[in-house]
Amino acid sequence: MQIQYKTQRLSMRFFLLMLVLFAFQVLYGMILAAQQVDPTLLSGVLNFNVARAEHLNLGIMWIVCGFIGSILFVAPLLSKRELVAPWLVKFLFYAVIVIVVWNFFTQFLAERGIAGWWLGQPWLQQGLEYLEAGRIAGLLILVGFIIVAFVVLRTFPPVRQWNEVHWGLGLGFGALAVVWIFGLFYIQRLDLQEYFRWFVVHYWVEGVWEVIHISLIGTFLVLMFKADIKSVGFAVFWGITLVWLSGLIGNAHHYFWIGTPEFWQFWGSLFSALEPLPLVFCFWHIYLDAHTNKRPLENAPAFYFLLGSTVLELVGAGILGFVMTFALTNVWSHGTWVTAGHAHLALFGTFGMLGLAAAYYAIPIMRKVPRYDQRLGKLGFWLVFLSMLGMAFAFSIGGTVQIYVYRILGLDWFGGDIYRSMGVFKLMLPLFGVVFMAGALTVVYDLITLGQRVQTPTRFAASASIERLTGWRKPLTGFEAGIWLLGMWVFGSIITLGLLSFNLPRVRVEGDPTLPYLLAGVGYPGLLLVTMLFVWRFLASMEARMATADDPVTADDAMVPNLV
Amino acid sequence: MSCGSGDSSCEIPRRRGAFVMLGLMTAIFIALSIFSFLKSRGQAIPSTITENNYTATQGKRVFQAYNCMGCHTLVGNGAYLGPDLTEEYKLAGPAWLAAFLPSAAGWPTAAAVRTQLANPDMQAAAGVDTMEAYLQKFPGAAERIERRSGGTTNMPNLPFTQEEVGQLIAYLKYASAMNTEGWPAKIEVKADLNERLRMAHGPGAVLPVVAAAPAAAAAASGAAAAPADPAELGEQLAKDYGCIACHSAGTQKLVGPGWGGVYGSQVKLADGSQVLADDAYLAESIREPNAKIVDGYTAGVMPAYASLLKEDEVKAIVAYIASLHGQEKH
Repeated sequence: MQIQYKTQRLSMRFFLLMLVLFAFQVLYGMILAAQQVDPTLLSGVLNFNVARAEHLNLGIMWIVCGFIGSILFVAPLLSKRELVAPWLVKFLFYAVIVIVVWNFFTQFLAERGIAGWWLGQPWLQQGLEYLEAGRIAGLLILVGFIIVAFVVLRTFPPVRQWNEVHWGLGLGFGALAVVWIFGLFYIQRLDLQEYFRWFVVHYWVEGVWEVIHISLIGTFLVLMFKADIKSVGFAVFWGITLVWLSGLIGNAHHYFWIGTPEFWQFWGSLFSALEPLPLVFCFWHIYLDAHTNKRPLENAPAFYFLLGSTVLELVGAGILGFVMTFALTNVWSHGTWVTAGHAHLALFGTFGMLGLAAAYYAIPIMRKVPRYDQRLGKLGFWLVFLSMLGMAFAFSIGGTVQIYVYRILGLDWFGGDIYRSMGVFKLMLPLFGVVFMAGALTVVYDLITLGQRVQTPTRFAASASIERLTGWRKPLTGFEAGIWLLGMWVFGSIITLGLLSFNLPRVRVEGDPTLPYLLAGVGYPGLLLVTMLFVWRFLASMEARMATADDPVTADDAMVPNLV
Repeated sequence: MSCGSGDSSCEIPRRRGAFVMLGLMTAIFIALSIFSFLKSRGQAIPSTITENNYTATQGKRVFQAYNCMGCHTLVGNGAYLGPDLTEEYKLAGPAWLAAFLPSAAGWPTAAAVRTQLANPDMQAAAGVDTMEAYLQKFPGAAERIERRSGGTTNMPNLPFTQEEVGQLIAYLKYASAMNTEGWPAKIEVKADLNERLRMAHGPGAVLPVVAAAPAAAAAASGAAAAPADPAELGEQLAKDYGCIACHSAGTQKLVGPGWGGVYGSQVKLADGSQVLADDAYLAESIREPNAKIVDGYTAGVMPAYASLLKEDEVKAIVAYIASLHGQEKH
């Protein structure tokens, strides 16, 4: 495939910026992991809260850069014309760099307690989780989002001609700016402040980002597998509809304990239990759409990350979110490491991997190296995927121990009692962190230098025929995929029961942790293992196609599938 | 099915239906939100909660300015490096917090908390006037003093001013006063502390106490264990009374001036005059700190130790300060 519209190339700079920010975010993650083990590390120089603010903000920024890169690449294809106002996109790129650098330095002011109060607003930094950016950066970010929305909506065809993917991306990039506005006010009351903070965090992630995610996954499936836009559009429509119908009131799961009334526990438990539905839907569709043609997998790393994104969305966001979404389980998981396991898998898995998938898809096309060396990309995928599962394991089990010691036994000396109990799991974070960093740097190096190194093109060897493929490499059937999905949910239910069991008198009054420990000890490793094996199995069946293909690239392959 | 046949499209009515449903959900959500913040609910609000003339409204700004949420949770939201602060005020009380916050890298001693409680304003805020009653009312303070006093924490020292400390305490009081619908769940395990520690760390677990605690306990239990050398005794006292929370042994300024090299030097006062930092001046500055304010510092920050320290104890601390002469490099 070739570039059809020259403004598609504007996406390249955003992908490269994304990779640089990703590397920095991982570095800060490493520092945080080391500080979890030794909290006095860099104390007074780079305090944990500042390092964490950088880790979160860099994470958000590179995910957004991935979104921008993706939309710039696909918007011309979706509109059959060049992007409007390319100068605005170029301006946006430099503006993003300025905002990132500015925000990076203003976060350090938290060590001196300087928020930059003026007119009742904190202009330099505001010390709210995920929304640490001060008002200056916040307003500039709003301008940036408006620019993105403007470019996307003006490039798109008239609304009457929109298909479901246009609707998804149009609504998504429009709402990206609108939702951000709720974070731009200083609020005196803690309960009201948390109420609006979750407007931004929840509606971004579960409202806007997921909508963009589903639409982009659909788009890339059309581009990579020549799936029918109508059938993908059907999935995108139901995905978005279910995300919004469950997620809108589902936000209530953040309103259980922040000082808002008890009735939110009912609404939150009910609606957010439905939130995994669109994720199951999306998961299922990637199975179907990836199998619409049986042609060889041309760009393996792009599909690896696309699959990783969909599977980790289901497991990290869907299942690990589901387990703690009920008031009776959330009362225990809330405010512990259990939530961090969910957050890491969901955010890096779903949105991070989507950005990397898009970069792996778009960069070889822009650099005109369709047969690039795919080995580093695959290696990088396995390193980040496995180590992120490992980190989720450490957070989840460590969090389960934390619940018992902190919330059941009521010991509150973190240094003396809680760290001591969580010690093994604290140590796992930097260990998995090192593996993750190796994987992340592999991916970043590979993507930045792709097409500029001496290439060993991927060989499409013609050896085995499809009938001879058996066992692990045989084509994945719908039935088998369903069994894997069922397995994930079985372990998800075990985890849910484990959190529920903290309510039993045996645990809560007598202080016997056997049951929750046992259920968590079976549930988390089981879920993560099934996830790992499923991805392995899925990819093995896709790779097998590569070995069976013997025909060279035809003219038909080079055509861009119709997205309109 | 009316759509899907001929030219009519299913997509448009389907989209319309989705938007209608979304509107309905939004209406439910908005209605619930309005009910959540009605005055009749009686939820605590920060502008009405004060502590020693500081309001919780001021404290919230301090809390955000230092990004406290980047290490701690409040109502369960934030980071998980340090403890949740929702019930911190209820557990430890204002005097313990006032002793802790100026120099958060060290756990306050009983003496340091007692010093804070000597202030009538603090007694009014805590609602008690003796240390015994205080420890009874705030069991978290009692446990912390017993197990941790004098040890180091994992929290860095932050450059809080005296006002900011008071404002933060007011904010934590507000958080404690909030109705959070039963979170965090009440502890229902009936075991005492030792038993709970054994449950957490296994049957052979030794009660973890900070290394400094036995020494402090010995110092408190009688003069027999007290060092004979006045400077050494002074060093012990400075630790016990939490002086080192605000005064470094070098020249570094924490909350108050560093002690290194102060003895025998010329000190510039706020009114512009110079005074020699001799025994009498230092003793007076310990007993009645507001009598002479050093240039660049504010009156009322340091508590008066006149009623807390005996004559020879003040002398011992002065001797310790004098012994720090020539240690400016620390």
